[in-house]
Amino acid sequence: MHELSVAIEVCRMVEERLGPDASRLRRVGVMVGDDAGLEPANLSFCLDALLGQPPFGAATAAVSSCSGPDLRVDYYEVDDDDPND
Amino acid sequence: MTIRTIEVRERIMAKNDELASEVRRRLAEHDITSFNLVSSPGSGKTMLLERTLGTVGEELGISVVTGDVQTQNDAERLAHHTTRLVQAVVTGGACHLDSRQMLEALDAIDLTETRLLFIENVGNLVCPASWDLGERAKIVVFSVTEGEDKPLKYPKMFREARYAVINKVDLLPYVPFDVDRAIDYALQVNPELQFFQVSALTGRGLGEWFDFLRRQVLVPAGA
Repeated sequence: MHELSVAIEVCRMVEERLGPDASRLRRVGVMVGDDAGLEPANLSFCLDALLGQPPFGAATAAVSSCSGPDLRVDYYEVDDDDPND
Repeated sequence: MTIRTIEVRERIMAKNDELASEVRRRLAEHDITSFNLVSSPGSGKTMLLERTLGTVGEELGISVVTGDVQTQNDAERLAHHTTRLVQAVVTGGACHLDSRQMLEALDAIDLTETRLLFIENVGNLVCPASWDLGERAKIVVFSVTEGEDKPLKYPKMFREARYAVINKVDLLPYVPFDVDRAIDYALQVNPELQFFQVSALTGRGLGEWFDFLRRQVLVPAGA
């Protein structure tokens, strides 16, 4: 049920790392452990909803599952040839 | 289009945990013991706190932060049993408290006059399990009207808790709840769990609960 809270936190992390380049984000890779207390499909839905809004451009989430309690961002994919430049 | 991949492996809960550490530091600075009460809605957290405040609230210098999705009803109920401020946090839809809200709540509390802080979390056996609020321990409350298999259905919460309060034991003659089986299920999930069996309504078992709290405030807050 707190997937939206976690998705909002992921967006905060993206903005903190990329700053004004957050609009260049194309994909964020998130790893969810099966003991993390989250439903991966639900988290993916929340992330896609948020990442489709400003300040992000048209980013999506790639949510993967693993065993254990892990809950982490593994990678960001950024478009270095933003047509808006 | 040139896509660059930035590998990070950053924990998503890192920021919350950082703020929880700040809560813990502030509580330790004032030697305040803190417990995070978690449960499903209607298990009796608020009544347990009412009885606790009414009996040992002054003796143990108890302050309360209470979280609800909407309304300040619980805070208003608790305020009748203490002269101290009961800090309400209305989450506005969120299904749990987080450590940012806790830090803000601490600003409203007279920490110098507090020895024991209860956090009454939002009623929910799922989400609050994942959020460290800077407490010493989580205490899960579950009542005999809920069914004894709650620990198996919500294992993360029972794994994260250090203590379990089985509440509403006055209703045992009227409901099909097997206390031994409930404890067995909980110990399957968390063998370290310690139990209290109480009725916050009638007062049964509360003496042991109050003695536990008296011992806890004697343990240094950083321990």
